[in-house]
Amino acid sequence: MKPLNFAILDYMTTVPEACAEDVVEALAPRYGRFRALTVESVRTALLTAAVNGLLEESRCELDDDRDLRLYFRAHPEGAATIIKYTGGPQSRD
Amino acid sequence: MSTQASRVADIPSPAAAAARRILFRRYRTYGIAVAVLSGMSYGLYSAFMTLGMSLGVWSGWYEGDSGLSPVATLFLLSALGAAVTDCFSALWALALAAVKGKLGDVPRSWRTRPGAIMTLAAFIGGPLASTCYVLGLQNAGSVVVPLSALCPAIGAILGRAIFGQTLNVRIMAGILICFAASFMIGSTGLTDDAPAHLFLGLAFGLLAALGWGIEGCVCGYGTALIDPEVGITIRQITSGLSNLLLLVPLFGWLGGADAAGMVAAAFTDGQSVGWFVVAGLCAYFAFMLWYQGNAMCGAALGMACNGAFSFWGPFFIWLVLGVCHGMEGKNMPPIAWLASLVMVGGIFLIAVDPLELFRRGRQGR
Repeated sequence: MKPLNFAILDYMTTVPEACAEDVVEALAPRYGRFRALTVESVRTALLTAAVNGLLEESRCELDDDRDLRLYFRAHPEGAATIIKYTGGPQSRD
Repeated sequence: MSTQASRVADIPSPAAAAARRILFRRYRTYGIAVAVLSGMSYGLYSAFMTLGMSLGVWSGWYEGDSGLSPVATLFLLSALGAAVTDCFSALWALALAAVKGKLGDVPRSWRTRPGAIMTLAAFIGGPLASTCYVLGLQNAGSVVVPLSALCPAIGAILGRAIFGQTLNVRIMAGILICFAASFMIGSTGLTDDAPAHLFLGLAFGLLAALGWGIEGCVCGYGTALIDPEVGITIRQITSGLSNLLLLVPLFGWLGGADAAGMVAAAFTDGQSVGWFVVAGLCAYFAFMLWYQGNAMCGAALGMACNGAFSFWGPFFIWLVLGVCHGMEGKNMPPIAWLASLVMVGGIFLIAVDPLELFRRGRQGR
């Protein structure tokens, strides 16, 4: 099993874009028992990855509850850097 | 905020755009608060470690008739103080990681490439830079204190060169102002030194600044990959064990002292050990928030906010040792208060573009 942060970044290289809520939902089957798998901390991890150039913001919208959904994507260089350090989503856990 | 984070492909609705602005503002404010708190925690950690190193067995070791050689008194005691503090800090880090359910991620992250890079950076910034700092002080005197405050500038340049982070004239000017403020604080001790090997000492001081610059920049970026609470556990275990198992025996051997006996005495001394436990907790927050702040703000702003430790260090030493414990000679010189204001100005210049602020002000009117 990979560290949670690696799993978050790996997931971002497999989808065109995702928000924190999407990431939590996608990782819940494997990482559901991790206390850090919350929308708030995943969003902070995504923002930090964006500040450091690993991801970029793609769009934002308000959901049905009027909560902000902020979407990120891994641009080609960012995805290459993530895979270089995490081994990528296909690598052994 | 870097351009990567603020690039938006689709035009959001006004309500979504407003919510986004609030979120980014909150994230940035949180990042700056984290970076400033890291400097304050560093000051507290310095104060409690200094207090611990003045009580119990430590007061005996520092006295002239302790039988310790000058080498042992200068290098071994510094390394031992750092080792005891970092070992307690590592225990705090492990305990807090367990409480937050992140303990399993420590060995998982350590086995990875970023984990290995973070370990190396922690070793460079921990035992190596600290030893260079002490060697610099020994050879060149206290001019090394402000020199070591160059580490934010070095971190910002490395952040630009290695990771492509933002660095412009305004940010460099802000860093220079912070450096000048650190120099003002350090200059209070310049007159009572007669450095015998000035240039050798300055070289060691620069190496210390380089080591801390490398650690701040690399581990800040590493925190984008590894959770900061996991990263700091790796850092404190690396630093504590390398100090305890490498530097303390080395300096014990060089200084002809019974290092093993002194380690045992330091960990079991009832009068001082409690303060090292407190110092260890403060060190945990100092470094964890430093890494997190650098990751959230970028190395330039994060390290400049953290660099205020050159004010918080003397401030908390004055408060904890001078005011609370009545020790003499711990007063804050007036110039340090003035320097702290200069430093705030420097940090503000790095964080906020004054022209942008002026433009916004005119639009608002």
